[in-house]
Amino acid sequence: MAFVLEAKNLSKNYQDKQALKPLNLQLQPGEIYSLLGPNGAGKSTTINLFLGFIAPTGGMALINNLEVAQHPVEIKRYLAYIPEQVVLYPNLSGFENLSLLSSLAGFNYDADLLNGFLLRSGLPAEAINMRTGAYSKGMRQKVGIAAALAKRAKVLLLDEPTSGLDPKASNEFSELLLQLSAEGTAVFMATHDIFRAREVSSRIGIMKAGQLVHQLSSNELDAHQLEKLYLNYMHD
Amino acid sequence: MIKTLAQKELVSARRDKRFVLLGAIIVLLLMVAAVSGVVSYNQLSAERTMAQHAADHDFKSQPARHPHRMAHYGSYAFRPKSSLSFFDFGLDTYTGTMVFMEAHQQNSANFSAVQQSGGLLRFGEMTVAFVLQWLIPLLIIFLTFNTFTQEKEQETLKVLLSQGLTVAQIAKAKLQGYAQALALIIVPALLVASLLLLLANGLSADADFLLRLLIFLTAYLVYFFIFLAGSILISALNQHSRSALLLLLGIWIMACVIMPKVTANWGSLLYQTPTKAEMDATVHHAASHGMNGHDPQDKRTAEFTKGLLAKYHVDSVSQLPVNIDGLVMAEGEAYSSKVYAQEFDKLADTYHRQSSVSEWAGLLNPYLAIRYVSMALAGTDAAHYVHFLKAAEDYRYRLAQHLNHLHATQLHYHDKETRLDASNWKNYPAFTYHEPSVAWALGRHLVSVVALLLWGGLLYFFFTRLITQYFTL
Repeated sequence: MAFVLEAKNLSKNYQDKQALKPLNLQLQPGEIYSLLGPNGAGKSTTINLFLGFIAPTGGMALINNLEVAQHPVEIKRYLAYIPEQVVLYPNLSGFENLSLLSSLAGFNYDADLLNGFLLRSGLPAEAINMRTGAYSKGMRQKVGIAAALAKRAKVLLLDEPTSGLDPKASNEFSELLLQLSAEGTAVFMATHDIFRAREVSSRIGIMKAGQLVHQLSSNELDAHQLEKLYLNYMHD
Repeated sequence: MIKTLAQKELVSARRDKRFVLLGAIIVLLLMVAAVSGVVSYNQLSAERTMAQHAADHDFKSQPARHPHRMAHYGSYAFRPKSSLSFFDFGLDTYTGTMVFMEAHQQNSANFSAVQQSGGLLRFGEMTVAFVLQWLIPLLIIFLTFNTFTQEKEQETLKVLLSQGLTVAQIAKAKLQGYAQALALIIVPALLVASLLLLLANGLSADADFLLRLLIFLTAYLVYFFIFLAGSILISALNQHSRSALLLLLGIWIMACVIMPKVTANWGSLLYQTPTKAEMDATVHHAASHGMNGHDPQDKRTAEFTKGLLAKYHVDSVSQLPVNIDGLVMAEGEAYSSKVYAQEFDKLADTYHRQSSVSEWAGLLNPYLAIRYVSMALAGTDAAHYVHFLKAAEDYRYRLAQHLNHLHATQLHYHDKETRLDASNWKNYPAFTYHEPSVAWALGRHLVSVVALLLWGGLLYFFFTRLITQYFTL
């Protein structure tokens, strides 16, 4: 089975602190994996290791079978990343931001295609040519998703994607993730949102103090049981 | 990729209200400086040309006179304004503009702008060079201090990097984009200023003038590049916008305000110059060892007379085929001029040593380097001033010796009554001053030229390397 995202004994130390204990993980195309855990658990460190923004202390991170540390530029062709705050360039419109990001990724689409990506990601048509300085977080996130669509990314990395979103926007976002998943995009997201994770994920991991302490498939537990399990780990 | 991102930086800058406002202020200040500079240039040029013509006319209009009366009547040398001087006033404000040229005496240049103006001049002048050297670096700092830090703080940098760009590519794109944004402000303003300059010169421009202008503009482009690349570099190596801004402003204050004053004071302390009174006393004392044309009891005059009588095999000065009065005057002039030239060279050398402290400091501070290069190209540095003084002294000496020659060859010994024809001074060529070439001008400031090029070259070389090596997200 080909994995599009894989961690092999992946670890990261900052001086004396072990930010990520050896992690082993594989994601198949179309899988949605949610990593739950409190602040400082190592979720963002894991994402940064897959992005190649920090070098691992041990093991390796692979994207589409390429080792991230060895191919830091090449692996970017296969992934898209949406940070927690999703700050786009405020002086550019949603259309211009998408045009810029897709051009930088090596895709030069015409205006119709770019508009299509934005509409498909749920951005209202009247917002497309507005400067993103006036966008809500939900709208900015939709531009981020449109960028992932335009890039034809195999892996989407998300850092706290639903924090600060109202329930409607959060729900729209979940639907978008499910659409992407159906099209074969693997999604790896770090989140605190147990209910949304339960709703969209194929698998869920619980991370504590840099260690993946529990993994389960989303249909193993309902949302309340998952919350209880999560809180148990947090109180240990 | 770089081109696309550079285009985004340009568009973002153009839509940034800070940039639009600061850019408009800079353009306005540049225009005010250029227009007021050209008005002042035209006025001063016209005044000096008129004064020079009047002085020449007065000298040439003198009636038949004794030649030594004419030597004391003297003439005036007015320093013409250099064509590029309205870009950079340099030392012009503080240096004299007119030298009275007479026999036996080397007068200093008088009537500097600072002597004739109120105390406001102490606060500095609004010149094109002031805007280019001080304000545009500030604009660059305010425009770029957060170019990387803001992207780090807002995590857009991670988004850019996740598109497959390297930090070096992003840095180059930012450099290119901001350079284009700055060009939108600076290039039209400098083109207008250059046009004003050409108009002020009656649209006539020789090769040296054009070369000076071209190098002047190129030198400032290198200077702006240094600030632009330096600011982006510091933004890239800092984690927070506030710390990047504080560091850049600190560097600007150190480079443009503190260091120039410290190095100038240090130079003055290391190499002290005599006061004018001390200089005059030294020259007077040294010249007293030579002949004085007005003192018949002078021992050296007696020895010179003895030698002359022996040379012509005659018994008395009245039998000489030449008028000894004129020859004594010529000998005295030659001696005092030699003494003056030696003392003046010592003084000029001290000035040079003083400024060389600041010039060498240009290797640490590109502001000092551009300041000297700019003044040199504008013809307003100390070297150009000394060049003018030497040209005036050379003319004074030749005029005095011409009149002494007339005295010696056309008048009899002790003849104080005969008047020589007015054509003798009417046909004598008037004082004209030719500015030295651009190669001469830059040759006086090679350290500054090298410093500027080194700064530009090293920053270009290390820009992406340093960012790649020391960058942290």
